[in-house]
This record gives sequence, structure tokens and C-alpha cells, in this order.
Amino acid sequence: MKDSHGMTPIVKTVTRVSVWLILLYGCYIILHGHLTPGGGFAGGVVIALAFLNVMLAYGKSFTAEWLNIRLLKDIEAASITLFLVLGLLGIAFGNAFLANFLGKGEMFSLFSSGTIPLFNIIIGIKVALSLFLVVWVLADIDSAKGGDL
Amino acid sequence: MILYLMCFALFLVGLYGLLTKRDLIKIILSSAIMGYSTNLFLVLFGYRRDATYAILTPNNSGQAMVDPLPQALVLTSIVIELGITALLVALAIRLYQKYGTFDITKMRSLKG
Repeated sequence: MKDSHGMTPIVKTVTRVSVWLILLYGCYIILHGHLTPGGGFAGGVVIALAFLNVMLAYGKSFTAEWLNIRLLKDIEAASITLFLVLGLLGIAFGNAFLANFLGKGEMFSLFSSGTIPLFNIIIGIKVALSLFLVVWVLADIDSAKGGDL
Repeated sequence: MILYLMCFALFLVGLYGLLTKRDLIKIILSSAIMGYSTNLFLVLFGYRRDATYAILTPNNSGQAMVDPLPQALVLTSIVIELGITALLVALAIRLYQKYGTFDITKMRSLKG
């Protein structure tokens, strides 16, 4: 099957396997952000690179079918509101903005340290979608055509 | 001290590329190299010999740790650098749309 979009079949076949491993690694870094080096930002960058891997290997039209770009834009805009809500819950239940009002749990276990993993997840979503959408929008510009964007 | 001087040399590499190259893509890469050298410099300020990373794990409690403050600062700096690079790339694409080239010596008209 000859497809004019994207790269060679070798790259596509490798991408089909590797993109899920990259996504899994990004989720691992985000979820273990309060235990090991890494966190929301680093894991978010890894997840964004997984999406960009698909975009480079398969081309933009396939990626637009695979991912719902409008939904991703909405999630990207809404995630920072979630951050604000979680910070305001710190005022409601704790004593300050961004206060850690949940139970701290056992030290060095995965489900511990209160709201910090939740903030890591929110930041991970925000960073992943922001980075991906920046490159997406830049790749959307038709460089041959002049005029307004 | 020699490490700080090498950071400064890396900064000068970026500055040289920024001032002498004609290709817009190379100019963007040079500005990125300048940013990386600055980040490396800030991280090296917080370095301590024979110290571990500044995260508490069951294995390294009680050991000396490197200073985490420059690392947190550099994380912010990396994000800002990313934004600057995205802005520069967007401007470069717009200039390519207008002039059909990345060579800055061929972009001579101020309007029209």
C-alpha cells in the first residue's frame, strides 16, 4: 500500500509499536513525579513527543483522524482551570492557596503526598497538549501561501 | 572555575552564530545554544561534589544533596526558552511566506 503522506513503511511500523511505549513512559514519569526525578513537566514533554512521533511518521491528515484536535484544544484550555480549582480547594479545606489538604499517606509509596500527584497529572496534561498543539499550529501554516494566518 | 569558563565559551559560540549567520534557522539554533549555556551555568552553581540529587528516596536519606533552587529556576527558564523558540519559529515562517527565503540579507524591503 503506497501512501503519499508521511515517511517510509519502516518508520511507520516502528512508530506503531514505539508510540505506546513512549506514552507509557510519559505516564510513568508523571505518576511517579513525587517519588523520583521527573514530574508533570518532564512526563508531559515525553507524551507530547509521542504524539509528534505519530505526526511526523504518518502525516497530518492521519493524525487529525486519530486524535480529536478540537477536543485536545478544549482540554488544554480547561486543564489550567482545574489547577485553579484545586488551588482554591486548598483555601477551602486547608489554610492557604495550593495547600496540601489531603492525607499525606505513607512515605515513598505511590499513593501518597496528598495533592502533589494530582497537580503533577494536571501539569502533565497541560504541558503535553500545549507542546503538541504549538507544533501542530506551526505545521498548519502553509509556507507557500502568503497573507493572513 | 574551568567549568564556568567553558559555559561562557559555549555562550560565545551561540553569540557568534547569532551575529554572523545569515540563515534564520541557524540564528534560532544559536539563540537556543545561548540559552542552554546559561541553563548549564545556573545548574553548575548548585553543584556539590559527592552529593546526590535533591530528592528524598529511601536510599539517599542523610547524604549531602545538590542545591535544588537553581534546578527549579532552570526548569522555568527552559519553559520560557521554549516559548521564545516557538515565537522565533513562527516569525521565521511568516518571513518565509513573505520573502520565500530564510536568508536575512535578502529581506531588504521594509514594507510591501
